[in-house]
Amino acid sequence: MIGQIFFYVMAALAIFGAIATVVARNPIRGAMGLLVMILSVAGFFLALHAEFLAAIQLIVYAGAIVILFMFVLMLLGPSAVPAHDQRGQIWRTVAGAIFGLLGAGAIWFAYKGFTVDVPAKGEVDAHTVNLARSPALGLAPAGYGGIDEIGHALFTTHLVPFEISSALLMVAVIGAVAVAKGKKGSKDLIIYKELDTPEIDAPGTATAVIAEVSP
Amino acid sequence: MFLVLSPFIVLAVGALLLMLAEAFTGSERSLSVVGSIVLFATSACGLAVWLLGTDNVDLSVLAPWIILDRFSLFFNALLPFGAALVCLLSGGYLEEHRLQRGEFYQLIFFTTLGTMFLSAAGDGLTLLLGLETMSIGAYALTAFRRTSTRSVEGGLKYFLLGSFSAALLLFGLALLYGVTGHTDLAGLRDGLAHGGALSDPRVIFALLLVLSGLAFKVSAFPFHMWAPDAYEGAPTPATSLMASTVKAGGFAMAIRVLVTAFGDPASTSWASGWPPVVAWLAVLTITIGNLIAGRQDSVKRMLAYSSVVHAGYMLVGLAAFGAAKSAAIASILFYLVTYTVSTIGALGVLILAGSHGKEAVSYEDLAGIGKRHPALGLAFSFFLLSLAGIPPTAGFFGKWYLVKAILEGGMPLLGVITVLNSVLSAYYYLRVLVFMYMKEPAPGAPKAVPMRSGEVNAALVIAAVCVALLGLRPGATIDASEEAAKTLVQ
Repeated sequence: MIGQIFFYVMAALAIFGAIATVVARNPIRGAMGLLVMILSVAGFFLALHAEFLAAIQLIVYAGAIVILFMFVLMLLGPSAVPAHDQRGQIWRTVAGAIFGLLGAGAIWFAYKGFTVDVPAKGEVDAHTVNLARSPALGLAPAGYGGIDEIGHALFTTHLVPFEISSALLMVAVIGAVAVAKGKKGSKDLIIYKELDTPEIDAPGTATAVIAEVSP
Repeated sequence: MFLVLSPFIVLAVGALLLMLAEAFTGSERSLSVVGSIVLFATSACGLAVWLLGTDNVDLSVLAPWIILDRFSLFFNALLPFGAALVCLLSGGYLEEHRLQRGEFYQLIFFTTLGTMFLSAAGDGLTLLLGLETMSIGAYALTAFRRTSTRSVEGGLKYFLLGSFSAALLLFGLALLYGVTGHTDLAGLRDGLAHGGALSDPRVIFALLLVLSGLAFKVSAFPFHMWAPDAYEGAPTPATSLMASTVKAGGFAMAIRVLVTAFGDPASTSWASGWPPVVAWLAVLTITIGNLIAGRQDSVKRMLAYSSVVHAGYMLVGLAAFGAAKSAAIASILFYLVTYTVSTIGALGVLILAGSHGKEAVSYEDLAGIGKRHPALGLAFSFFLLSLAGIPPTAGFFGKWYLVKAILEGGMPLLGVITVLNSVLSAYYYLRVLVFMYMKEPAPGAPKAVPMRSGEVNAALVIAAVCVALLGLRPGATIDASEEAAKTLVQ
């Protein structure tokens, strides 16, 4: 019972946080909404007795990533909030409505699909059995999310993807260095024959954002 | 075991050693030559493992993460080969345009490593890791010229849309996991086959998400929007990497996912499966890509749209999979080989035609260059004819086998559309030739001055030899692609 109340409170908070992240006009409020969402997901992990995952969720996402967002927002200052852009308002609303409806329909389909009743005896076909065993419905296995289990998985069954992820981190570091270093010594390599010089246009577009970011 | 993994190991270790060497010597001069040697060696290792075979090797440690079959070995040979040519091109280009920084080569190495993992991935997890390794490298390469707004704009668009499409793909895979309880492709196939696969709305929705993600990575309509901006803004060697190795990696992923996870007879039939969706994507990609490519003023942008169109041709081959089976896949693989060498060659000549401050990008820049510099004009004509599919070049046989597979699959309409579009595309390829040989630059207009670089020349010679060989003696490569396709389709 208490578990259920906990779940619903956390779920409501997560959804509230996610909506706040998307809707907030002030980026700082958006980051705070993200924080609420992350904290409630950490709550889900706790409910599953995955204390280690909950702690990692807090340290990595809440501790590192959201704080990094805040740093960037603070560094950008007032220019981080773009002026309200009126262009294409109708189309944006229409497109948003279409995608919103599609998404809602998809969630409804998925919900219908996942609430399969327990089949009557003798009517068990392979498909429903498969569903009943599906991880979305089952309980977390014993030891799920503990340090032992994760360490074991990382260094035995999941060793190959673990190693490949080091290549991913490596390329991200090199890419960040490459793009950041590109501004050094920029004086002598400005000359680039362009067909038409792209205008630094209205606020909010990609070029304008870049132009504002780079001093 | 380690011998079988040698392509991956050679490339990863080589990249790390080169990074250390650059850090300690502080010199970037010989990076491109040494780097291309590492990549050629990787390709040679892939070829060697292909020749030795993997039948007697215990690969259970890698299962299900990495699949080392003929299909992935084919890509282990092809992908680093293209990247090696790009590495040589970069050597000349970066020095000429004063962009010489070691990170460029590291990004090429790791992007290539990502594409190799992608082509060998047998599980959703390794697939995404490979995909992201490849994509992040490509984003950074696109935005490498930080002082050009165009480059940064292209990089930012590519990054945002690319992350979005990877999220779509991930969402689709997560839904499939929810339905079947599997993330590995073979397990997905078994799980889906039990439940009548595409009768389940969740699976249809998941398939649509996966298809959108895949279509984005191979830049198919309507997910091609990022391609022209990213291709045009990127430094030209990065463009050639995106058009060759990155695109081939995307196709390897698309083929493996669709053929393995959604390869059951019901899902691949024309009436109830994914082929019609792919066919529509392909036809729209080719036709719209062709129409826009013909209207470009910039040769670089035209080549970007041309790469969209070529992706469309290969998607037509994929759409014929249901009926033509392994012949369709084999024709795509061979097409990828011919397209890789042709497009690297064409973009390489575009690099050669410009020099510092006088980069040749538009048709006007190339006016009369064929008369002033005959060798350059000849090389450009050769690669463009190959892209247009005119015999006796590699591109002709690529298209020939593709159309043959489509017709064997019993889809005459798709074959006709492909051929008609191929004729249409000759317009904008031949237009370059018209400008090179029959026009003179307008008085007072800036003339493109070709640069001099042994490295670029070497890359072009290798590419030209490959194009000619594939055009005259395509037999061995076709056999190899058929063998690779057969291991995938059982």
